[in-house]
Amino acid sequence: MTVLEFFADHTYRMVLAGTVTIGFVAGALGSFAYLRKQSLISDVIAHAALPGTLVAFLAAVAVAGTGGRSMLVLITGAVLAGTIAVAFANHVARTSKVGIDTAMAVALTVFFGAGMLLLRIIANGEFPGKGGIQDYLFGNASVITTADFVTSLVVGMLALGLMVLFWKEFALRTFDPDQSTALGFRAGVIDTLMFTTIVIATVIGVKAVGLVLMVAFVVTPPAAARQWTRTLRGMVWLSAAFGAVGSGVGAWLSILLGTVPTGPLIVLTLFAIFLVSLLASPRRSIVVTVLSRRRARAALKRELTGEGANT
Amino acid sequence: MTIASTSHEDVLAQGQAEYACVTRNLSVAYRDELILRNVDLRVPRGVVMGVVGPNGAGKSTLIKAMLGLVKPLTGTTEFFGRPLAKVRQRVGYMPQSATVDWDFPTTVQDVVLMGTYGSLGWLRRPGKAERARAMAAMAQTGIADLASRQIGELSGGQRQRVFLARALVQSPDLFFMDEPFQGVDAKSQQAIVGVLHTLREQGKTVVIVHHDLMTVRDYCDHVTLLNRRVVASGPAADAFTKEAIRTTYDVTDDDGFLDSLAFVS
Repeated sequence: MTVLEFFADHTYRMVLAGTVTIGFVAGALGSFAYLRKQSLISDVIAHAALPGTLVAFLAAVAVAGTGGRSMLVLITGAVLAGTIAVAFANHVARTSKVGIDTAMAVALTVFFGAGMLLLRIIANGEFPGKGGIQDYLFGNASVITTADFVTSLVVGMLALGLMVLFWKEFALRTFDPDQSTALGFRAGVIDTLMFTTIVIATVIGVKAVGLVLMVAFVVTPPAAARQWTRTLRGMVWLSAAFGAVGSGVGAWLSILLGTVPTGPLIVLTLFAIFLVSLLASPRRSIVVTVLSRRRARAALKRELTGEGANT
Repeated sequence: MTIASTSHEDVLAQGQAEYACVTRNLSVAYRDELILRNVDLRVPRGVVMGVVGPNGAGKSTLIKAMLGLVKPLTGTTEFFGRPLAKVRQRVGYMPQSATVDWDFPTTVQDVVLMGTYGSLGWLRRPGKAERARAMAAMAQTGIADLASRQIGELSGGQRQRVFLARALVQSPDLFFMDEPFQGVDAKSQQAIVGVLHTLREQGKTVVIVHHDLMTVRDYCDHVTLLNRRVVASGPAADAFTKEAIRTTYDVTDDDGFLDSLAFVS
Protein backbone atom coordinates (compact mmCIF):
# COMPACT_ATOMS: atom_id res chain seq x y z
CA MET A 1 0.00 0.00 0.00
CA THR A 2 1.40 3.38 -0.95
CA VAL A 3 1.14 6.44 1.26
CA LEU A 4 -1.31 7.92 -1.22
CA GLU A 5 -3.58 4.89 -1.05
CA PHE A 6 -3.39 5.00 2.71
CA PHE A 7 -4.56 8.59 2.95
CA ALA A 8 -7.21 8.10 0.28
CA ASP A 9 -9.06 5.74 2.61
CA HIS A 10 -11.43 7.55 4.96
CA THR A 11 -11.31 4.89 7.68
CA TYR A 12 -7.50 4.83 7.68
CA ARG A 13 -7.38 8.63 7.87
CA MET A 14 -9.76 8.64 10.80
CA VAL A 15 -7.85 5.90 12.63
CA LEU A 16 -4.57 7.74 12.19
CA ALA A 17 -5.86 11.22 13.01
CA GLY A 18 -7.92 9.96 15.95
CA THR A 19 -5.15 7.97 17.61
CA VAL A 20 -2.51 10.66 17.03
CA THR A 21 -4.79 13.20 18.71
CA ILE A 22 -5.38 10.86 21.64
CA GLY A 23 -1.65 10.13 21.93
CA PHE A 24 -0.67 13.80 21.82
CA VAL A 25 -3.20 14.99 24.44
CA ALA A 26 -2.69 12.02 26.78
CA GLY A 27 1.11 12.30 26.49
CA ALA A 28 1.14 16.00 27.35
CA LEU A 29 -1.25 15.83 30.30
CA GLY A 30 0.06 12.50 31.53
CA SER A 31 3.26 14.33 32.47
CA PHE A 32 1.48 15.97 35.39
CA ALA A 33 0.04 12.65 36.60
CA TYR A 34 3.55 11.20 36.38
CA LEU A 35 5.16 14.05 38.30
CA ARG A 36 2.49 13.94 41.01
CA LYS A 37 3.29 10.23 41.34
CA GLN A 38 -0.29 9.37 40.45
CA SER A 39 0.30 7.69 37.10
CA LEU A 40 -2.23 4.99 37.85
CA ILE A 41 -4.96 7.57 38.39
CA SER A 42 -5.61 7.33 34.64
CA ASP A 43 -6.36 3.61 35.06
CA VAL A 44 -8.98 4.54 37.65
CA ILE A 45 -10.39 7.15 35.28
CA ALA A 46 -10.50 4.78 32.32
CA HIS A 47 -12.33 2.10 34.30
CA ALA A 48 -14.72 4.63 35.80
CA ALA A 49 -15.40 5.88 32.28
CA LEU A 50 -17.25 2.64 31.52
CA PRO A 51 -20.20 3.12 33.90
CA GLY A 52 -20.10 6.86 33.17
CA THR A 53 -20.41 6.22 29.46
CA LEU A 54 -23.14 3.63 29.90
CA VAL A 55 -25.19 5.79 32.26
CA ALA A 56 -24.89 8.65 29.78
CA PHE A 57 -26.03 6.27 27.01
CA LEU A 58 -29.05 5.15 29.06
CA ALA A 59 -29.89 8.74 30.00
CA ALA A 60 -29.73 9.88 26.39
CA VAL A 61 -31.94 7.01 25.30
CA ALA A 62 -34.41 7.63 28.14
CA VAL A 63 -34.61 11.40 27.61
CA ALA A 64 -34.21 11.81 23.87
CA GLY A 65 -35.06 8.29 22.81
CA THR A 66 -31.90 8.29 20.71
CA GLY A 67 -28.50 9.98 20.42
CA GLY A 68 -27.02 7.51 22.88
CA ARG A 69 -23.99 7.06 20.67
CA SER A 70 -23.12 10.74 20.40
CA MET A 71 -19.45 11.09 21.36
CA LEU A 72 -20.11 14.30 23.27
CA VAL A 73 -22.81 12.68 25.44
CA LEU A 74 -20.60 9.69 26.16
CA ILE A 75 -17.53 11.83 26.93
CA THR A 76 -19.59 13.97 29.31
CA GLY A 77 -20.71 10.86 31.20
CA ALA A 78 -17.17 9.50 31.26
CA VAL A 79 -15.72 12.79 32.50
CA LEU A 80 -18.27 13.00 35.32
CA ALA A 81 -17.72 9.41 36.45
CA GLY A 82 -13.94 9.75 36.09
CA THR A 83 -13.91 12.92 38.17
CA ILE A 84 -16.01 11.30 40.89
CA ALA A 85 -13.68 8.28 40.97
CA VAL A 86 -10.59 10.51 41.25
CA ALA A 87 -12.16 12.62 43.98
CA PHE A 88 -13.21 9.48 45.83
CA ALA A 89 -9.74 7.90 45.68
CA ASN A 90 -8.00 11.10 46.80
CA HIS A 91 -10.54 11.74 49.55
CA VAL A 92 -10.22 8.22 50.99
CA ALA A 93 -6.41 8.46 50.91
CA ARG A 94 -6.44 11.86 52.60
CA THR A 95 -8.94 11.20 55.34
CA SER A 96 -8.26 7.58 56.25
CA LYS A 97 -5.24 5.41 56.86
CA VAL A 98 -5.86 3.67 53.54
CA GLY A 99 -2.98 4.44 51.15
CA ILE A 100 -3.53 6.09 47.76
CA ASP A 101 -2.61 2.88 45.89
CA THR A 102 -5.28 0.90 47.72
CA ALA A 103 -7.80 3.72 47.42
CA MET A 104 -7.22 3.85 43.67
CA ALA A 105 -7.62 0.08 43.36
CA VAL A 106 -10.88 0.16 45.31
CA ALA A 107 -12.24 3.02 43.19
CA LEU A 108 -11.17 1.29 39.99
CA THR A 109 -12.81 -2.04 40.80
CA VAL A 110 -16.06 -0.68 42.16
CA PHE A 111 -16.62 1.54 39.12
CA PHE A 112 -15.59 -1.22 36.75
CA GLY A 113 -17.89 -3.70 38.50
CA ALA A 114 -20.79 -1.30 38.15
CA GLY A 115 -19.86 -0.81 34.51
CA MET A 116 -19.88 -4.55 33.79
CA LEU A 117 -23.29 -4.82 35.43
CA LEU A 118 -24.66 -1.99 33.28
CA LEU A 119 -23.10 -3.52 30.18
CA ARG A 120 -25.01 -6.75 30.78
CA ILE A 121 -28.25 -4.88 31.43
CA ILE A 122 -27.88 -2.96 28.17
CA ALA A 123 -26.91 -6.08 26.23
CA ASN A 124 -30.04 -7.87 27.48
CA GLY A 125 -32.41 -4.93 26.95
CA GLU A 126 -33.99 -3.30 23.93
CA PHE A 127 -32.10 -0.07 23.40
CA PRO A 128 -31.80 1.75 20.09
CA GLY A 129 -28.20 2.09 18.94
CA LYS A 130 -26.74 -0.25 21.52
CA GLY A 131 -24.63 -2.03 18.91
CA GLY A 132 -20.90 -1.64 19.48
CA ILE A 133 -21.25 -0.35 23.02
CA GLN A 134 -19.05 -3.21 24.23
CA ASP A 135 -16.20 -1.67 22.21
CA TYR A 136 -15.43 0.44 25.26
CA LEU A 137 -13.88 -2.56 26.95
CA PHE A 138 -11.12 -3.25 24.43
CA GLY A 139 -11.59 -0.38 22.02
CA ASN A 140 -12.05 -0.32 18.29
CA ALA A 141 -10.17 2.35 16.38
CA SER A 142 -11.76 1.43 13.05
CA VAL A 143 -15.14 2.78 14.17
CA ILE A 144 -13.89 6.33 14.76
CA THR A 145 -16.25 8.59 12.82
CA THR A 146 -15.52 12.11 11.65
CA ALA A 147 -17.80 13.39 14.40
CA ASP A 148 -15.92 11.30 16.99
CA PHE A 149 -12.62 12.66 15.76
CA VAL A 150 -13.77 16.27 15.78
CA THR A 151 -15.23 15.86 19.26
CA SER A 152 -12.06 14.39 20.74
CA LEU A 153 -9.98 17.02 18.96
CA VAL A 154 -12.05 19.88 20.35
CA VAL A 155 -12.31 18.44 23.86
CA GLY A 156 -8.61 17.52 23.84
CA MET A 157 -7.60 21.02 22.74
CA LEU A 158 -9.78 22.41 25.52
CA ALA A 159 -7.84 20.34 28.06
CA LEU A 160 -4.51 21.40 26.56
CA GLY A 161 -5.71 25.00 26.57
CA LEU A 162 -6.41 24.78 30.29
CA MET A 163 -2.93 23.37 30.83
CA VAL A 164 -1.29 26.21 28.89
CA LEU A 165 -3.44 28.84 30.61
CA PHE A 166 -2.68 27.56 34.12
CA TRP A 167 0.85 26.39 33.31
CA LYS A 168 2.50 28.40 36.08
CA GLU A 169 -0.03 27.26 38.69
CA PHE A 170 0.17 23.60 37.58
CA ALA A 171 3.97 23.65 37.70
CA LEU A 172 4.17 25.26 41.14
CA ARG A 173 1.51 23.04 42.69
CA THR A 174 3.11 19.89 41.26
CA PHE A 175 6.62 20.79 42.40
CA ASP A 176 5.90 22.32 45.81
CA PRO A 177 2.27 22.15 47.02
CA ASP A 178 2.95 23.97 50.32
CA GLN A 179 4.68 26.88 48.62
CA SER A 180 1.82 27.12 46.17
CA THR A 181 -0.66 27.44 49.04
CA ALA A 182 1.59 29.83 50.97
CA LEU A 183 1.77 32.12 47.93
CA GLY A 184 -2.02 32.32 47.94
CA PHE A 185 -3.08 29.83 45.24
CA ARG A 186 -6.09 27.77 46.28
CA ALA A 187 -5.05 24.13 46.19
CA GLY A 188 -8.58 22.89 45.50
CA VAL A 189 -8.95 25.10 42.44
CA ILE A 190 -5.66 23.97 40.87
CA ASP A 191 -6.26 20.30 41.67
CA THR A 192 -9.76 20.38 40.22
CA LEU A 193 -8.49 21.97 37.02
CA MET A 194 -5.51 19.63 36.76
CA PHE A 195 -7.43 16.42 37.37
CA THR A 196 -10.18 17.55 35.00
CA THR A 197 -7.60 17.86 32.24
CA ILE A 198 -6.17 14.42 33.08
CA VAL A 199 -9.69 12.94 33.09
CA ILE A 200 -10.38 14.45 29.67
CA ALA A 201 -7.06 13.19 28.31
CA THR A 202 -7.99 9.69 29.43
CA VAL A 203 -11.64 9.45 28.40
CA ILE A 204 -11.22 10.77 24.84
CA GLY A 205 -9.28 7.61 24.04
CA VAL A 206 -11.48 5.01 25.66
CA LYS A 207 -13.64 4.31 22.61
CA ALA A 208 -10.73 3.85 20.22
CA VAL A 209 -8.23 2.17 22.54
CA GLY A 210 -10.39 0.56 25.18
CA LEU A 211 -10.46 1.27 28.91
CA VAL A 212 -8.02 -1.52 29.72
CA LEU A 213 -5.14 -0.19 27.62
CA MET A 214 -5.84 3.54 27.86
CA VAL A 215 -3.60 3.90 30.89
CA ALA A 216 -0.57 3.17 28.67
CA PHE A 217 -1.22 6.37 26.69
CA VAL A 218 -1.09 8.46 29.88
CA VAL A 219 1.77 6.66 31.64
CA THR A 220 4.30 5.46 29.06
CA PRO A 221 5.09 8.64 27.07
CA PRO A 222 5.86 10.76 30.19
CA ALA A 223 8.02 7.98 31.65
CA ALA A 224 9.99 7.85 28.39
CA ALA A 225 10.17 11.64 28.04
CA ARG A 226 11.44 12.09 31.58
CA GLN A 227 14.64 10.23 30.63
CA TRP A 228 15.63 12.89 28.10
CA THR A 229 14.65 16.25 29.53
CA ARG A 230 15.53 18.56 32.39
CA THR A 231 12.70 21.06 32.21
CA LEU A 232 8.96 20.67 32.63
CA ARG A 233 8.28 22.35 29.29
CA GLY A 234 10.66 19.96 27.54
CA MET A 235 9.10 16.98 29.25
CA VAL A 236 5.52 17.89 28.31
CA TRP A 237 6.44 18.61 24.67
CA LEU A 238 8.48 15.44 24.28
CA SER A 239 5.88 13.31 26.03
CA ALA A 240 3.18 14.70 23.70
CA ALA A 241 5.44 13.99 20.71
CA PHE A 242 6.15 10.44 21.89
CA GLY A 243 2.42 9.88 22.38
CA ALA A 244 1.58 11.21 18.92
CA VAL A 245 4.41 9.39 17.11
CA GLY A 246 3.83 6.14 19.00
CA SER A 247 0.12 6.27 18.19
CA GLY A 248 0.75 7.13 14.55
CA VAL A 249 3.29 4.36 14.03
CA GLY A 250 1.15 1.84 15.92
CA ALA A 251 -1.95 2.74 13.91
CA TRP A 252 0.00 2.60 10.66
CA LEU A 253 1.37 -0.85 11.52
CA SER A 254 -2.03 -2.19 12.48
CA ILE A 255 -3.47 -1.10 9.14
CA LEU A 256 -0.45 -2.43 7.25
CA LEU A 257 -0.66 -5.81 8.95
CA GLY A 258 -4.38 -6.03 8.26
CA THR A 259 -6.24 -7.87 10.97
CA VAL A 260 -4.30 -6.64 14.01
CA PRO A 261 -6.12 -4.41 16.56
CA THR A 262 -4.82 -0.85 16.76
CA GLY A 263 -4.75 -0.22 20.53
CA PRO A 264 -2.42 -3.10 21.43
CA LEU A 265 0.00 -2.24 18.60
CA ILE A 266 0.17 1.38 19.78
CA VAL A 267 0.86 0.21 23.32
CA LEU A 268 3.71 -1.98 22.05
CA THR A 269 5.12 0.92 20.02
CA LEU A 270 5.00 3.19 23.07
CA PHE A 271 6.75 0.50 25.06
CA ALA A 272 9.52 0.35 22.44
CA ILE A 273 10.00 4.12 22.80
CA PHE A 274 10.10 3.71 26.57
CA LEU A 275 12.66 0.91 26.37
CA VAL A 276 14.96 2.87 24.06
CA SER A 277 14.69 5.89 26.37
CA LEU A 278 15.57 3.84 29.40
CA LEU A 279 18.60 2.28 27.70
CA ALA A 280 19.96 5.10 25.57
CA SER A 281 19.18 8.51 27.10
CA PRO A 282 22.46 10.33 27.74
CA ARG A 283 21.95 11.34 31.37
CA ARG A 284 19.70 8.68 32.86
CA SER A 285 20.33 5.57 30.74
CA ILE A 286 21.03 2.51 32.82
CA VAL A 287 23.50 1.26 30.21
CA VAL A 288 25.37 4.56 29.87
CA THR A 289 25.53 4.91 33.65
CA VAL A 290 27.08 1.49 34.12
CA LEU A 291 29.57 2.01 31.27
CA SER A 292 30.72 5.46 32.34
CA ARG A 293 31.06 4.33 35.95
CA ARG A 294 33.20 1.37 34.86
CA ARG A 295 35.36 3.65 32.71
CA ALA A 296 35.81 6.12 35.57
CA ARG A 297 36.80 3.34 37.96
CA ALA A 298 39.33 1.98 35.47
CA ALA A 299 40.86 5.43 35.03
CA LEU A 300 41.00 5.87 38.79
CA LYS A 301 42.72 2.52 39.15
CA ARG A 302 45.31 3.37 36.49
CA GLU A 303 46.01 6.67 38.20
CA LEU A 304 46.46 5.03 41.60
CA THR A 305 48.73 2.23 40.35
CA GLY A 306 50.74 4.88 38.48
CA GLU A 307 51.18 6.82 41.71
CA GLY A 308 52.18 3.62 43.49
CA ALA A 309 54.86 2.91 40.86
CA ASN A 310 56.29 6.41 41.14
CA THR A 311 56.87 6.34 44.86
CA MET B 1 -15.01 55.58 80.94
CA THR B 2 -15.37 55.84 77.16
CA ILE B 3 -12.21 57.92 76.97
CA ALA B 4 -10.29 55.41 79.02
CA SER B 5 -11.31 52.45 76.90
CA THR B 6 -10.47 54.29 73.65
CA SER B 7 -7.01 55.14 74.83
CA HIS B 8 -6.56 51.56 75.92
CA GLU B 9 -7.39 50.37 72.40
CA ASP B 10 -5.00 52.90 70.93
CA VAL B 11 -2.23 51.58 73.08
CA LEU B 12 -3.16 48.07 72.04
CA ALA B 13 -3.15 48.98 68.34
CA GLN B 14 0.22 50.66 68.63
CA GLY B 15 1.55 47.70 70.52
CA GLN B 16 0.40 45.27 67.84
CA ALA B 17 2.00 47.30 65.08
CA GLU B 18 5.35 46.64 66.74
CA TYR B 19 4.91 42.96 66.05
CA ALA B 20 5.52 41.34 62.70
CA CYS B 21 3.40 38.45 63.80
CA VAL B 22 1.11 37.64 66.70
CA THR B 23 -0.32 34.19 67.34
CA ARG B 24 -2.99 33.69 69.95
CA ASN B 25 -4.14 30.50 71.56
CA LEU B 26 -3.02 28.27 68.68
CA SER B 27 -3.70 24.55 69.08
CA VAL B 28 -3.12 21.92 66.42
CA ALA B 29 -4.11 18.27 66.37
CA TYR B 30 -3.23 15.56 63.85
CA ARG B 31 -6.28 13.35 63.86
CA ASP B 32 -6.99 13.22 67.63
CA GLU B 33 -3.44 13.74 68.88
CA LEU B 34 -2.72 17.21 70.17
CA ILE B 35 0.55 18.53 68.72
CA LEU B 36 0.44 22.13 69.93
CA ARG B 37 -1.39 23.36 73.01
CA ASN B 38 -2.50 26.97 73.31
CA VAL B 39 0.55 28.56 71.77
CA ASP B 40 0.87 32.32 72.20
CA LEU B 41 3.67 33.87 70.21
CA ARG B 42 4.71 37.43 69.48
CA VAL B 43 7.47 38.10 67.02
CA PRO B 44 8.72 41.70 67.30
CA ARG B 45 9.67 43.46 64.10
CA GLY B 46 13.28 43.37 62.99
CA VAL B 47 14.46 40.39 65.02
CA VAL B 48 15.72 36.96 64.14
CA MET B 49 13.60 34.62 66.22
CA GLY B 50 14.74 31.04 66.67
CA VAL B 51 12.10 28.38 67.33
CA VAL B 52 13.97 25.69 69.24
CA GLY B 53 12.91 22.36 70.68
CA PRO B 54 13.41 18.59 70.50
CA ASN B 55 12.25 16.33 67.66
CA GLY B 56 8.49 16.08 67.55
CA ALA B 57 8.05 19.30 69.52
CA GLY B 58 5.82 20.69 66.77
CA LYS B 59 8.20 23.34 65.44
CA SER B 60 7.40 22.81 61.75
CA THR B 61 3.74 22.33 62.61
CA LEU B 62 3.71 25.68 64.40
CA ILE B 63 5.01 27.49 61.33
CA LYS B 64 2.70 25.63 59.00
CA ALA B 65 -0.31 26.35 61.18
CA MET B 66 0.59 30.03 61.39
CA LEU B 67 0.78 30.14 57.59
CA GLY B 68 -2.49 28.27 57.16
CA LEU B 69 -0.82 25.20 55.61
CA VAL B 70 -2.12 23.08 58.49
CA LYS B 71 -5.58 23.78 59.80
CA PRO B 72 -5.42 24.69 63.50
CA LEU B 73 -7.93 23.39 66.01
CA THR B 74 -8.11 26.73 67.77
CA GLY B 75 -6.40 30.08 67.55
CA THR B 76 -5.58 32.87 65.15
CA THR B 77 -2.46 34.43 63.68
CA GLU B 78 -2.09 37.98 62.47
CA PHE B 79 0.73 39.41 60.42
CA PHE B 80 1.44 43.12 60.78
CA GLY B 81 -1.88 43.35 62.58
CA ARG B 82 -3.87 41.81 59.71
CA PRO B 83 -4.96 38.33 58.63
CA LEU B 84 -2.62 36.45 56.29
CA ALA B 85 -4.87 36.71 53.25
CA LYS B 86 -4.46 40.53 53.29
CA VAL B 87 -0.67 40.56 53.61
CA ARG B 88 0.45 37.37 51.87
CA GLN B 89 3.08 39.14 49.79
CA ARG B 90 4.81 40.42 52.93
CA VAL B 91 5.21 36.90 54.33
CA GLY B 92 7.73 34.45 52.85
CA TYR B 93 8.11 30.76 53.58
CA MET B 94 11.13 28.54 53.06
CA PRO B 95 10.11 24.90 53.67
CA GLN B 96 12.43 22.09 54.66
CA SER B 97 14.24 21.06 51.53
CA ALA B 98 13.27 17.41 52.04
CA THR B 99 9.62 18.23 51.36
CA VAL B 100 9.95 18.41 47.57
CA ASP B 101 10.99 15.96 44.86
CA TRP B 102 14.49 17.02 43.82
CA ASP B 103 14.28 14.81 40.74
CA PHE B 104 11.60 17.15 39.36
CA PRO B 105 12.49 18.26 35.83
CA THR B 106 13.26 21.89 36.50
CA THR B 107 16.25 24.21 36.69
CA VAL B 108 17.55 26.39 39.52
CA GLN B 109 16.38 29.62 37.91
CA ASP B 110 12.89 28.22 37.28
CA VAL B 111 12.54 27.30 40.96
CA VAL B 112 13.77 30.71 42.11
CA LEU B 113 11.39 32.35 39.64
CA MET B 114 8.52 30.60 41.44
CA GLY B 115 9.03 33.10 44.26
CA THR B 116 7.53 35.77 41.99
CA TYR B 117 4.33 33.80 41.34
CA GLY B 118 2.60 35.15 44.43
CA SER B 119 2.85 38.78 43.34
CA LEU B 120 1.89 37.83 39.78
CA GLY B 121 -1.30 36.11 40.94
CA TRP B 122 -3.42 33.82 38.77
CA LEU B 123 -2.64 33.46 35.04
CA ARG B 124 0.00 36.22 34.67
CA ARG B 125 3.38 34.92 33.50
CA PRO B 126 6.79 36.01 34.78
CA GLY B 127 8.52 38.45 32.41
CA LYS B 128 11.82 40.29 32.17
CA ALA B 129 11.44 42.12 35.48
CA GLU B 130 10.73 38.87 37.34
CA ARG B 131 13.71 37.16 35.71
CA ALA B 132 15.98 40.02 36.75
CA ARG B 133 14.74 39.76 40.34
CA ALA B 134 15.36 36.00 40.32
CA MET B 135 18.88 36.60 38.99
CA ALA B 136 19.59 39.11 41.77
CA ALA B 137 18.35 36.69 44.44
CA MET B 138 20.54 33.92 43.05
CA ALA B 139 23.53 36.27 43.16
CA GLN B 140 22.74 37.17 46.77
CA THR B 141 22.79 33.52 47.84
CA GLY B 142 25.82 32.70 45.69
CA ILE B 143 24.15 30.32 43.23
CA ALA B 144 24.11 32.54 40.12
CA ASP B 145 26.54 30.20 38.37
CA LEU B 146 24.16 27.29 38.93
CA ALA B 147 21.19 29.05 37.27
CA SER B 148 20.62 26.58 34.45
CA ARG B 149 21.50 23.46 36.43
CA GLN B 150 18.90 20.77 36.94
CA ILE B 151 18.01 20.86 40.64
CA GLY B 152 18.75 17.15 41.10
CA GLU B 153 22.45 17.84 40.53
CA LEU B 154 22.78 20.13 43.56
CA SER B 155 24.31 19.43 46.96
CA GLY B 156 22.25 19.77 50.14
CA GLY B 157 23.62 23.22 50.85
CA GLN B 158 23.00 24.42 47.32
CA ARG B 159 19.40 23.18 47.55
CA GLN B 160 18.84 25.25 50.69
CA ARG B 161 20.29 28.28 48.92
CA VAL B 162 17.90 27.73 46.01
CA PHE B 163 14.99 27.76 48.47
CA LEU B 164 16.43 30.81 50.21
CA ALA B 165 16.75 32.63 46.88
CA ARG B 166 13.15 31.73 46.08
CA ALA B 167 12.04 33.24 49.39
CA LEU B 168 14.18 36.36 48.82
CA VAL B 169 12.76 36.98 45.36
CA GLN B 170 9.37 37.49 46.92
CA SER B 171 11.01 40.29 49.01
CA PRO B 172 8.78 39.78 52.03
CA ASP B 173 9.10 41.67 55.32
CA LEU B 174 8.74 38.51 57.38
CA PHE B 175 10.50 35.24 56.59
CA PHE B 176 9.70 31.80 57.96
CA MET B 177 12.55 29.35 57.45
CA ASP B 178 12.19 25.71 58.42
CA GLU B 179 15.61 24.29 59.36
CA PRO B 180 17.63 26.32 56.85
CA PHE B 181 20.89 24.83 58.14
CA GLN B 182 19.90 21.19 57.85
CA GLY B 183 22.32 19.08 55.80
CA VAL B 184 24.32 22.15 54.86
CA ASP B 185 28.08 22.35 54.26
CA ALA B 186 30.23 25.09 55.80
CA LYS B 187 30.26 27.21 52.65
CA SER B 188 26.48 27.20 52.27
CA GLN B 189 26.06 27.85 55.98
CA GLN B 190 28.22 30.94 55.63
CA ALA B 191 26.21 32.12 52.64
CA ILE B 192 22.91 31.63 54.48
CA VAL B 193 24.16 33.37 57.64
CA GLY B 194 25.34 36.26 55.45
CA VAL B 195 21.84 36.62 54.02
CA LEU B 196 20.31 36.45 57.52
CA HIS B 197 22.53 39.33 58.66
CA THR B 198 21.68 41.38 55.60
CA LEU B 199 17.97 40.83 56.21
CA ARG B 200 18.31 41.93 59.83
CA GLU B 201 20.18 45.07 58.76
CA GLN B 202 17.33 45.83 56.34
CA GLY B 203 14.90 45.65 59.25
CA LYS B 204 13.26 42.42 58.05
CA THR B 205 11.94 39.88 60.52
CA VAL B 206 13.05 36.26 60.37
CA VAL B 207 11.63 33.24 62.17
CA ILE B 208 13.84 30.16 61.86
CA VAL B 209 13.21 26.67 63.10
CA HIS B 210 16.56 25.71 64.50
CA HIS B 211 17.98 22.45 65.72
CA ASP B 212 21.45 23.15 67.01
CA LEU B 213 21.43 24.57 70.53
CA MET B 214 25.11 25.50 70.27
CA THR B 215 24.56 28.07 67.55
CA VAL B 216 21.24 29.52 68.68
CA ARG B 217 22.96 32.50 70.28
CA ASP B 218 24.98 33.18 67.13
CA TYR B 219 22.01 33.43 64.79
CA CYS B 220 19.06 34.47 66.89
CA ASP B 221 18.40 37.49 69.07
CA HIS B 222 15.01 36.19 70.16
CA VAL B 223 14.27 32.60 71.11
CA THR B 224 11.11 30.56 71.53
CA LEU B 225 11.58 27.25 73.30
CA LEU B 226 8.88 24.89 72.19
CA ASN B 227 7.79 21.43 73.19
CA ARG B 228 4.13 21.01 72.31
CA ARG B 229 3.65 24.30 74.18
CA VAL B 230 5.71 27.45 74.56
CA VAL B 231 8.15 26.98 77.43
CA ALA B 232 9.77 30.37 77.07
CA SER B 233 9.75 33.13 74.47
CA GLY B 234 11.53 36.45 74.32
CA PRO B 235 14.97 38.04 73.93
CA ALA B 236 17.63 35.30 73.97
CA ALA B 237 19.10 36.53 77.26
CA ASP B 238 15.73 36.14 79.03
CA ALA B 239 14.25 33.10 77.30
CA PHE B 240 17.22 30.91 76.43
CA THR B 241 18.07 29.90 80.00
CA LYS B 242 19.29 26.63 81.45
CA GLU B 243 16.09 26.20 83.35
CA ALA B 244 13.94 26.70 80.26
CA ILE B 245 16.11 24.39 78.13
CA ARG B 246 15.93 21.75 80.86
CA THR B 247 12.14 21.92 80.83
CA THR B 248 11.94 21.92 77.04
CA TYR B 249 14.23 18.95 76.53
CA ASP B 250 13.03 17.15 79.66
CA VAL B 251 16.53 16.54 81.01
CA THR B 252 17.88 16.47 84.56
CA ASP B 253 20.91 18.54 85.42
CA ASP B 254 23.31 15.63 85.96
CA ASP B 255 23.00 14.46 82.35
CA GLY B 256 25.94 16.60 81.38
CA PHE B 257 23.68 17.79 78.57
CA LEU B 258 23.55 21.32 79.86
CA ASP B 259 27.25 21.49 80.67
CA SER B 260 27.93 21.42 76.96
CA LEU B 261 25.93 24.64 76.83
CA ALA B 262 28.12 26.35 79.42
CA PHE B 263 27.74 29.71 77.68
CA VAL B 264 24.02 29.78 78.40
CA SER B 265 23.09 32.10 81.23
